[in-house]
Amino acid sequence: MKYRIAGIAALVAFAWYLPYQLDSYMIHVANVIIVFAILAIGLGLVMGVAGQINLAQIAFFGAAAYGTAILTTRAGFGFWTAAALAMLIAATIGLLVGTPALRMQSHYLGIVTLGLALALTNWVTNAHIAGGAEGISGIPAPELPGIDLHNAYFFYYLELVVFLLALAFGLFVVHTPLGRKMRAMRDDSLAAGAVGVEVPQLRMTAFFLSSIYGGLAGVLYAGLIRYVAPESFSIANMFLLLAMVIIGGRQSLIGCVVGAVALSLLREVLVDYPTYAQVAYGSVVVLTVVFAPTGLAGLPKRIRGLLRRVGWLPGDTGPVPKLGPFLPYAETPRPAAEPILRIDEVSMHFRGLKALQEISMTVNAGEIRGIVGPNGSGKTTLFNVVSGLYRPTAGRVYLADKDMTAASPHVLARKGIARTFQNLRLFALLSVRDNLLVALDQTSILSNWRYVLWQAGVWRHDQSLRAEADELLQRFGLTDFADSAPGELPYGTQRRVEIARAMARRPSLLLLDEPAAGLNGEEVRQLSEIVRSIRASGVTVVIIEHNMGLVMSLCERVTVLASGRVIADGTPAEVARAPQVVEAYLGDSAMSEDVPEIVETEAAR
Amino acid sequence: MQVFLQTFIGGVSLGAIYALVAMGFSLVFRTMGLVNFSHGNVVMIGAYIASTFYLSVKLPFAVAMVIALGLTGLIGVFIERVLRPLENKDFDLMLIGTIGFGIVLEAVAIIIWGATGRAVPNPVAVAPVQIFGLRIRTYDLVVLAITTAATLLLVYFLQRTKRGAAMQAVAMDHEAATAVGIHVGRSNAIAFMLGAALAALAGGLVGPLLYVNPSMGGMLGIKGFAGAILGGFGSIPGAIVGGIAIGVLDSFAGGWFQGYSDLVTFLVFTMIIMIRPTGIFGERTVNRA
Repeated sequence: MKYRIAGIAALVAFAWYLPYQLDSYMIHVANVIIVFAILAIGLGLVMGVAGQINLAQIAFFGAAAYGTAILTTRAGFGFWTAAALAMLIAATIGLLVGTPALRMQSHYLGIVTLGLALALTNWVTNAHIAGGAEGISGIPAPELPGIDLHNAYFFYYLELVVFLLALAFGLFVVHTPLGRKMRAMRDDSLAAGAVGVEVPQLRMTAFFLSSIYGGLAGVLYAGLIRYVAPESFSIANMFLLLAMVIIGGRQSLIGCVVGAVALSLLREVLVDYPTYAQVAYGSVVVLTVVFAPTGLAGLPKRIRGLLRRVGWLPGDTGPVPKLGPFLPYAETPRPAAEPILRIDEVSMHFRGLKALQEISMTVNAGEIRGIVGPNGSGKTTLFNVVSGLYRPTAGRVYLADKDMTAASPHVLARKGIARTFQNLRLFALLSVRDNLLVALDQTSILSNWRYVLWQAGVWRHDQSLRAEADELLQRFGLTDFADSAPGELPYGTQRRVEIARAMARRPSLLLLDEPAAGLNGEEVRQLSEIVRSIRASGVTVVIIEHNMGLVMSLCERVTVLASGRVIADGTPAEVARAPQVVEAYLGDSAMSEDVPEIVETEAAR
Repeated sequence: MQVFLQTFIGGVSLGAIYALVAMGFSLVFRTMGLVNFSHGNVVMIGAYIASTFYLSVKLPFAVAMVIALGLTGLIGVFIERVLRPLENKDFDLMLIGTIGFGIVLEAVAIIIWGATGRAVPNPVAVAPVQIFGLRIRTYDLVVLAITTAATLLLVYFLQRTKRGAAMQAVAMDHEAATAVGIHVGRSNAIAFMLGAALAALAGGLVGPLLYVNPSMGGMLGIKGFAGAILGGFGSIPGAIVGGIAIGVLDSFAGGWFQGYSDLVTFLVFTMIIMIRPTGIFGERTVNRA
C-alpha cells in the first residue's frame, strides 16, 4: 500500500512537471494522448467492466465534439454552455445506441453499434450544418478566468485535472456496488439476474457512463484542436481505440490508460509510416487476444506466476486454506403452513418439445420440498419458469398469492426467490467475497444518483455491505477463500459458495438445483445440515436432487416428475412405494425397495 | 413504377454480392459460432487479387477469379489457425481478434497496392438487356448466375457430402462431434477457408461494379453482416434473402435520401433487428440455465 501511494505520487508529479520538458509539438501530442486516455476509460467501462461490445465509442466522442462546434460557431453559445449541451447530446446518443443491448448481445451488439457509428459519420459528412467533408473550423477556445487556454501548455493542465477526476471516478465505480454488479453481469448475466441485478437497466447505465466519458473527451478535443472533421471520428479510429483498450487490458481502467498512452506513442514514433504502424498494432491485438487476453494490465500477475514456477520468487507459504464449519442460523418459530409458492397448470413448450405439461403443485411456507424425477423430466425447466428465466407457454405461478408469471428474474429475486444452478454459475472473474457482495446489495438502480452527488454515501453503503459479507463468509466457513477466484476452489466448496450467494439475498424461498451433485459423502452430510438450518431460520426450500438418500431424509414432501408431468406427490415413504414412480424409474418389473440405491449410483457419477 | 423497378433491379444486383458476403459470415458462424469481423477485408483482398491477375497479368477474368479464390482461402486457413486456441472458449475475444486481422489486412493491402484505388473494366462487354423498358446490365445477370451456382454448390456440399455432414455435426455439438471422431479443428479450418473463398468470389465480382480500394472492405463487410443477421444468422437461405434485402434497402435509400443512404440503411436495419433479433429465418440458439 505504501509503495502504491508513493508510485501514484511519483506519477502525478511526473505528469505535473512533464510540460517543462516538452516542445510545442510534443505538448500537442500529449494533449491528444490525454483525450484518447479518457475515451479509453469509457470504452473500458462499457466493454471490459460491463461486458457490452460497443463499437460506437468514437461516435459519442464525435457527437460531443461536433455538438460543441455547431453550438459555438453556428448558434453563438459560449464554450462552456455549448460543452454542457454537447455532453447532453452525447449522453442521449449513448442511451439510444445502448437500447439494442436490451435485446441482443455479443456480435449482434457489435454490428448494431458499428452501424449506428457509421450512420453518425454519414450524417456529419453530408449535413450542411456540420460543414460536410471540410468540417467546422474556428471553434472558440474555452475561457477560464486567469488562464489562457489558447496556450497548449495551460490546456494540458486543464486536461490533466479532468483526466485525473475521470479516472478516479471510474475506479470508484468499478470498486463499489455499481461496478461490481456490472462485472457480475459481464461474467454471467443469467446468474446476475437471479441474484437481483437489474440487468437491462444496468446495461443502459454502462452505455450512459461510456457516453459521458466519450462526451468529455469530445468537448476537450473540440477545445484543443478548435476544428472538427469527419475523419477524426472514423471507424479506423474506433478500431485504434479498441486496440488501445484490448492491448492495455480491458478489465482494468489503468490498463486502458496504459494502452492508450502506449499506442499513441507508437503511432507518434511511426508517424512517417502510418501503414506499418497499422500493421503493428493490428498484429499486437491478435497476439494479445491469443496469448495475453488480460493485456498489459495482466502482465505483472503472469510474470509473478512465472517467476514462482521457476523458483525465483517464493511460493505461497501461508497455511493451506481450509473450509470452515458451517455456523447454523438462529432458529425462528415455524411459520403457519400457508402456500408460499403455487404453480397452477404450467406448461412449457420449446417448439415441438413439451418440457412441462400442466404442472400444478403447492409449496407451503417452512417446508422442505423435494422434486425428483428421471433426467429430462422437466425439473430444471420448472425452476427456470419459477425463477423467471422462462415465460411459461401456459399457466400461472403465484408467489404468496401474488401472480408472478411474467416477472423478470431480478424482480423475482427482489420478491424473495433465490436459486442455485445445476452446473454452477458463479461469477468467474470475481472473488468469492465479491460474489457474495453482488447478492448482498439490495439497492435499486435508481439509488445510483448518489454516485454523482453523494459519493460518501456510496462508500459507507459499501463498507456496511463488506461487514455483512464477512459475517456471511464466516457463517459458511468460507473466510479462508474470501479472496480466491471461484474457479480455483474445490468443487464442493464452489457449491457451498453458490448456496451462500443465494442466502445473501435473505430469500423467503430458496430453490436448490441438484446441490449434492458431485459431492462426497461428508459434503452431502454437511449440505443436509446447512439446508436444515436454512429451513429452521424460516426459509422455505425446494430442492431438486437425484441423491435419494438425501431426499428421503431431508424432505417432508416429495413431488415426482416424469416426462413433464407430476406423477406423484406425498411423503417420501408414500412416493417411494407408488407404483407409477417405480415404473418411471425402473420399468414395471423391478422391486420398489431397490429405488434409493439404484438412483444413488447415478448421483455418484 | 419504372423507376421503382429499375431501383429494385439495381438493388438485387448489389444484393447478390452482399448475399455472398453474408453466406461467408453465416457459414463460419454456424460451424464455430464465430463472427469473423475481418471478413469484409478478406473480400477486399479478394477483389485486389482478382483485379491484379485480370488487369496486370492479363489473365482471363474467370482464371483470375479462381486464383483469387485459392489465395484468399489460404488467408482464411491462416486466420483460423492463429485464433484456434480461443475456439469454443471466449467468443468476444475471438471477435476482437478478427478485428485485429482486419486492421492488418487493410494495412497490408495499402502496402502492396497503394492507398489509391483502381477501376476494373466490365469483363462482359455486351449491351444491356432490355425487358419491358427496363435496362438490365449483362454483368448483373452474370453476378446473379454465379451467386446462384455458388449457393447450390454450398448447399450440395453441406447436405450431400461426408465432409459437409461432419461440419453440420460440429455446428450442432462440437464435443459430441469430437466423440464420434470428427476433427473439429480441421472442420473449422474448412469452414473458414470456404468462407474466405466466398468472400473472394464476392470481391472479384464486385470489382467491376465498385471502385476497388483498401477501405472498401469495411462497408461491404458490415452490409454483408447486416444481411446475414437480417436473414437469420447461421442460415444459408437466410443469408441469401437478407443480403438481397439489404441490397434493395440500400438501393432505395440511395434513391430517396442520396448522401444519407447509409444513415437510413443502418437505422432501418437496427429497428428491424430490435423487433426481431433472430432475423427472418431465425437462429438456433438455446439458452440453457
